[in-house]
Amino acid sequence: MTTASSPVTLGWGDVEVGDTLPALVIDVTATVIVAGAIATRDFMPVHHDRAYANAQGAPDIFMNILSDTAYCSRFLTDWAGPGAMVRKLAIRLGVPVFPGSTLTYTGTVKGKSRVGEEGIVEVELQATNDLGAHVTGTAVLGLPG
Amino acid sequence: MDDATDDGPDQFRQRLLALVGQPVGSHSASVAPDPVNQPMIRHWAAAFEDHNPVYTDTSFAAGSRFGGIVAPPLMLQTWTMATPKITGIAERGGSPVESEGTGPLSVFDEAGFVGTLASNSEFEIERYLRLGEVVSASTVIESISDEKQTRLGPGYFVTWATTYVDDAGGVVGRQRFRILKFRPPGVPA
Repeated sequence: MTTASSPVTLGWGDVEVGDTLPALVIDVTATVIVAGAIATRDFMPVHHDRAYANAQGAPDIFMNILSDTAYCSRFLTDWAGPGAMVRKLAIRLGVPVFPGSTLTYTGTVKGKSRVGEEGIVEVELQATNDLGAHVTGTAVLGLPG
Repeated sequence: MDDATDDGPDQFRQRLLALVGQPVGSHSASVAPDPVNQPMIRHWAAAFEDHNPVYTDTSFAAGSRFGGIVAPPLMLQTWTMATPKITGIAERGGSPVESEGTGPLSVFDEAGFVGTLASNSEFEIERYLRLGEVVSASTVIESISDEKQTRLGPGYFVTWATTYVDDAGGVVGRQRFRILKFRPPGVPA
């Protein structure tokens, strides 16, 4: 598949501390949760079998953590572009994500530095839904320039 | 409160402390069942609607800093996930494979802490993986918390540290992963 236009990679010099990342909004359905679980090869039944999730005390199936880290990396590179490199990602899970909810990723640039040729950008990020904070975390990206 | 086993709380705590430093899963490294490949990357990119062209667009990727198609960095954990045996997965508490002998986490299951929930994941990515590379993962239990009362029931936070290496043994990434092993309501100790 080809993209409509070549996506642009941010230069390190174009990023300022305090910049906010464009929000990523996921309308979460059972399909979204199951597709993510299976694409990450996570077959734990709580991520695809509602009866099993109920037996574990959850009201429905819920998103797996490998999907969370996947969406974090998409959120970061949707903003920074395909020439960015995700060097670190650390997340903590809070409230769960069930079908029928809306998950919104937001983030802010918290720091800039240089390591050799590469420009380093630190981002603080969150994903929230109607229950509260689902993901809180930090990321480090490498950018050209 | 701590009625985890017939041994009593002190003995159970000792059994848990003995797990620290032990490998999770098999004693040798877990080798990915398949090399890094385009079909699994495409499946992943579609599931998360991640249209980053360095994952799927050969010509774009060739002209990028990576010089060719690369795997999404956060797919690192996916390559070495066990190929599941679907039959009986619910009866095994969600474990994708039948344990070979007694895995370290069986200490929890035997004491009624059969529930598993991920709570933290931290990655350091040394480099992105190319098509055809075979990843191996070595995981050890780094720490085990005291018993905590959580909204899901009593449980323990277990932290694993995983090192991912390429065919030549070079480190491609590291991960720290924390799970809660908990006793769901109604499960006897």
